[in-house]
Amino acid sequence: MTGRRSQEGGKAGRGIGCIPSRLPAFLFILILSGCASRPPARVPAVPGPPLALRGVQAEDSAPKQDLRLVPPEVYMRTYLQLFGGLAPLEAQRRARGKDGSALFDRWDDYVSALGFPDYRLDIPRQTQTNALMVATFERLGVALCDRAVEHDLGATRGGRPPPMDQRVIFAFDLPRGAVDQNAFAERFDVLHRTFLGYPAPLAPPERTARFYALYRDIVAGHRKADPRSRFTPEQAGWAAVCYGLVRHPEFHLY
Amino acid sequence: MTTTRRTFLRLVSAGAAAAFAGLPSFDAMAAATAGSNEGEFFVFVIALGGWDVTLWADPRNEARGIIHPASTENTDTAPLKRWVDAPLGDTGLKTFELVRPRGSSLVFGPGIGDLADMVDRITVVNGLEMNTVAHPDGQVFSTTGRHPQGGRVAASSIDTMISNELGREQLFPTVSVRFPSSYVGDDLDRRVVPLAVDDVGSISRTLARAQMYDSDAERDRVTAMLSEEARDLAKRATYPDVLEGLALQYDGLRKMLGSNLQEVFSAGGLRKAHPEFDYKARFAGGPAVNAAFAVEAMKRNVVRCVSFAIGGFDTHANNYRGQAQLQQETFDLVASLVRTLDATAHPTRRGAKLSDHAHILVVSDFCRTPQINLGMGRDHYPNNSALIVSPRFKANFVYGRTDADQLLPQPVRKFVDGERAIAPPDLLATFLGAFGIDPRKYMRDGEVVPELLRA
Amino acid sequence: MIRGSSVFVSALSPRSSVRRRIAPLFALLAAVLLAPLLALDADSAPPPRAARTVDDYRHFRTAAIDLLGRMPTRQEIAAFERPDFDFDAWIDAHTTGPAYVERLTRIYMDVLRLEPNLNFTNATSQLYRHEVLGPDGKSLWIYYRENQRRERPETDGEFCLSPDETGVVIRARQPDEGTPRRVTKKLLDEYTVLVEPWWLYRDYRAPKPQQLFGTDAWKDPDPEYEPVEGLLADPDGKRVTAVRVCREEAQTRDVGHVYASGRVKAPPKDAKLPGGRVRPPPLDRPYATQHQGQEVACDTKTALDYAPDCGCGVGLDRCIPGDSNSGGNAFYFPNHVPLGSAYPLDDARQPQQRWFPYWWSREAVRFLDDLFAEDRDFREILTGKQTFVNGPLAQFYRTIQRGHCCGPEASFGMLEESAPLFDPRNVPADLEPQDVSTWKAVPDRGPHAAGILTMPMFLEKYASARARGAALYNDFLCKSFIAHDQQLTPSTEPNLMVRPGCKTCHATLEPLAAYFARVEPANFVFLPQERFPVRSTRCRLDAKGRLRGACNALYDAAFSDAKGATLRSAYGSPEHADETPVGAARDIVAAPEFAQCAVQRVTSSFLGRPTTPDDEALLTSLTSTFVRSGYRMRALVRAVMRSDAYRKSNDDASDGGTGGRP
Repeated sequence: MTGRRSQEGGKAGRGIGCIPSRLPAFLFILILSGCASRPPARVPAVPGPPLALRGVQAEDSAPKQDLRLVPPEVYMRTYLQLFGGLAPLEAQRRARGKDGSALFDRWDDYVSALGFPDYRLDIPRQTQTNALMVATFERLGVALCDRAVEHDLGATRGGRPPPMDQRVIFAFDLPRGAVDQNAFAERFDVLHRTFLGYPAPLAPPERTARFYALYRDIVAGHRKADPRSRFTPEQAGWAAVCYGLVRHPEFHLY
Repeated sequence: MTTTRRTFLRLVSAGAAAAFAGLPSFDAMAAATAGSNEGEFFVFVIALGGWDVTLWADPRNEARGIIHPASTENTDTAPLKRWVDAPLGDTGLKTFELVRPRGSSLVFGPGIGDLADMVDRITVVNGLEMNTVAHPDGQVFSTTGRHPQGGRVAASSIDTMISNELGREQLFPTVSVRFPSSYVGDDLDRRVVPLAVDDVGSISRTLARAQMYDSDAERDRVTAMLSEEARDLAKRATYPDVLEGLALQYDGLRKMLGSNLQEVFSAGGLRKAHPEFDYKARFAGGPAVNAAFAVEAMKRNVVRCVSFAIGGFDTHANNYRGQAQLQQETFDLVASLVRTLDATAHPTRRGAKLSDHAHILVVSDFCRTPQINLGMGRDHYPNNSALIVSPRFKANFVYGRTDADQLLPQPVRKFVDGERAIAPPDLLATFLGAFGIDPRKYMRDGEVVPELLRA
Repeated sequence: MIRGSSVFVSALSPRSSVRRRIAPLFALLAAVLLAPLLALDADSAPPPRAARTVDDYRHFRTAAIDLLGRMPTRQEIAAFERPDFDFDAWIDAHTTGPAYVERLTRIYMDVLRLEPNLNFTNATSQLYRHEVLGPDGKSLWIYYRENQRRERPETDGEFCLSPDETGVVIRARQPDEGTPRRVTKKLLDEYTVLVEPWWLYRDYRAPKPQQLFGTDAWKDPDPEYEPVEGLLADPDGKRVTAVRVCREEAQTRDVGHVYASGRVKAPPKDAKLPGGRVRPPPLDRPYATQHQGQEVACDTKTALDYAPDCGCGVGLDRCIPGDSNSGGNAFYFPNHVPLGSAYPLDDARQPQQRWFPYWWSREAVRFLDDLFAEDRDFREILTGKQTFVNGPLAQFYRTIQRGHCCGPEASFGMLEESAPLFDPRNVPADLEPQDVSTWKAVPDRGPHAAGILTMPMFLEKYASARARGAALYNDFLCKSFIAHDQQLTPSTEPNLMVRPGCKTCHATLEPLAAYFARVEPANFVFLPQERFPVRSTRCRLDAKGRLRGACNALYDAAFSDAKGATLRSAYGSPEHADETPVGAARDIVAAPEFAQCAVQRVTSSFLGRPTTPDDEALLTSLTSTFVRSGYRMRALVRAVMRSDAYRKSNDDASDGGTGGRP
């Protein structure tokens, strides 16, 4: 963010620029006055006129640093909270479910890729993303979102979602029929707050539209592309929106 | 590297100009080597803990000054294939005979292992002045050329530097397995942030994707959108580097997942593909899988640098008994790697072997005291040695020296800052210089030592 | 949101002077027209939201990351959006709690890295296990200690059954030599005994223990206490109810006696050794001959060296088991606990040598956690006498740690630690080794305790006196030892404080190292002044310029002469050596850099960047706040989080100053 500060030196500067040619003579007179042992002349204070604005110069007060990576401890706590406030091993069990390591391996497999330090080996924490870390975020994010869709949108309950207060991520009901832009935006706002911590309308203007396009594309293509999927097209669409937010730059950076 | 006459003349003229100026002309060297840097691969290894150089590179088998040689009193010699007993003065103990490879004037200690048979491929640097005996400091100094500043790493590591120059387009520019890789600086490409892992197998698991809920295409669609998001945010940002870097990493992920590389990262698969490495070695068995990974990844042209660590060298006490065996296993591993690279075709240069274009650098935190301590081990000492296996370096060659009585680095040439010993920044600068990379782009200190390089 | 408001916003654009004049009128009109509608819907409307900007939300999210250790929930965001949300009060309320504590502990763990990559092997407490063939030809396991003294020459210093009796030469960590043969029942009964050990029985001290692990008899078992399967079953897979132990190791007395076998001369090289042993039985050392019959505490190294009537105590509670002859595995515990030990990421079968190092690390973390949770004077990180112990640590401090002493120290008259860093008498009496989740505070470890400086984890991680001194300098004064371009020339000067090339760093380092001269390297045995003066006249260089025997182990020949010897690591500052780590703590916390360093670390961590000279004013102000508060972290963190620098940290927006307003 830039600030503004008026440049006040103009008038004074010009004033200062006028004096020098007369200064030596003035000083000489003063010195002579002193040598004559008379008391120094006192110049009475006279309030000057207010300084007029002569120009504006922008001052760059932007912070001199870039965004930083959310510490892996914070990422993990948030992840566990999104999983329903579970302890890590319980979250691991839920994420694996009955599918073995298809969706989730073990935390041990992800610890170094997530950037945790290893104090035993004096390996410091990672403070930047890398492609492998991004891959790990996807792996974990997909597991979280898929299980959340199963739980919150009733994918494993014959389409019957649990009560609203038991849903952590998809805390909304799906409309009957197709989801239009307004219906999407309302629900997207819930997810946007959940993952990115602020309302979607305050995000860059193309964001909601972009995610809506993603949702529509996934829904449209899902049944054709993946007939064996456990998700309905709508569920797959919302899962994709969830993936997009849990892997978003604004989720991982601050 | 096969040097054409034109390249040779360019280099000579560049060198002449440089000699006239007193400094290497990197523009000239860079221009000359630019084309020949395509398809070069790098392996960086650190012997974590600080190695005893008197057992391999700077062998001492006489009690002289403060030097207590390794002997049957403090070393388990049974597993050492190069250990031949020699009398240790009138102590009644046995030390080792110097290892003198045929056809070479070089001498080694028994820790050199199978590399003694490859003396025509290796360069040894002795008398590296370390100015530190603290592990974190020594590791960082050896790999970046600068001491840490207030605990912070102040410069990028050599693998990052190389990847930034030569590896941006690779799928995995640097894979770092417990190596002290660092990425420091504003002008680096974010694609080359080292992929740091505990073991290569975990990469495979991280890249695995289920198909029960969504398809690869659907996930890829999300990644593509996120890349757009990152780029748009970058356009809005005062400092766009991190966001632009993330966009590149999303793009990198798409390529990674599309490349079906699981078997490259599967430890079991690697062991099967490369039985020539000794996975059951007592000390270096674990890291052997990293060497196998390096070969497979280079073969598929998906990496530029593979960096890994071999631990266990910090032998302050009775565990010093195993130091020589640990060194032997380490250098046997390097030798196996070289042989495998000899037998592997280059992925892009027709008719070439990987070994013609692969460069290995092995370093350590520092070396160990010439004295044996009360615990029958050796402590830290501010001297060091390094090993290079590279077609761009003079082989069958040792550079640098230490004094006879105290194993301290000795002045070896006149540098810009005067007559002094070689130091890690000089070694790393020379490594960069071998590829026409101006070390000043990445390193505050260090000078290229042309004597180390082949013409 | 009222749709019309966007119209108002554009109408109120600062670009329009006309709009500027009529804007207040529009706002008033809107309020008058809409107020009734809002009032009608008041009951069902959500609470009013303050007009927060993106910057506000970002700031709140950053604060949540720092103080809650996670991103804010929707509910927390909704509370933030309320107009009555008081951010300062929120900060005050959340500079407390486990996430805040973890946040600060993380800063110092990143610096100190107090987790072990080491094995704790202590011959006095380490039990091995070897298979023998029983009388019926079935395998059975026998536990034993390496180098255990026994009165039988066939087995003195070795396994309790000779090679002739078992058919095999049995030695810890070595492959067997020979062919197993059945051991008779008579031999088993004579030289081994069945014991109900502490790792299987909760009530192992009872005359007839009943509360066997894994049965209903053990009420309220600690869920985190989990011996490995190998300790719970026989070779044939049957559940173990008692373990077979060499008879000497099973002894329970607390005091034994120095033993002299009468063997003072090594047998001829070709002599047949008793029982088929492969190395001669140990000869009597001069100490044994001179002190034969003298009492010795059974949990000391001295006892292992000299007393065949000393063993592992009641229920073997002075020893720790392993499920093999190479140490083996003992218990399950996690490798990764980045969120604290209550939230492990895994649960792995671990070797016995990692058991105590794991708990040392947990002790250090708990100490730091308490420092921040209770908002103690931060100087206690170095000066504090308190700590926390659980069952394994109680076992360790009560008895296991004593097994480190005494070797060469015995020659100076110290047969057991006379001034331990953690006085075993201060260990809570009501903690059993299986109480892994029960933690109790120990207000005072003893007179030589000094914060983390005298904890085993610190002393093992920074194993030498110099490493310990360097850690003080780097971690608590934020200073580095950097010797640029120093040429090391050969020199025989032993004093590194004056030696060319070395003095740049060592002039500072040696006096710091001297504070730790009385704590043995890679160890935590404390050498009290009365027995180990800095300058000893008892230890002197001989005619060949050498220190002999135990003197050489503890005193430094390089700083000795014919009149006396200097304690190792003490030459840099004999005064510091006598001040011990307690003096180091006192002196370091008194340095102005201590507070500055703490402030710099915390500020840098919260701002997410290194501090620069531009931050000088902020750091000075924060340091003053920190010191005035009595070195309390809470005051510092609150001041940091209220600072402008924190609010602006990582504010990457370049949105023309609109702050993201709609």
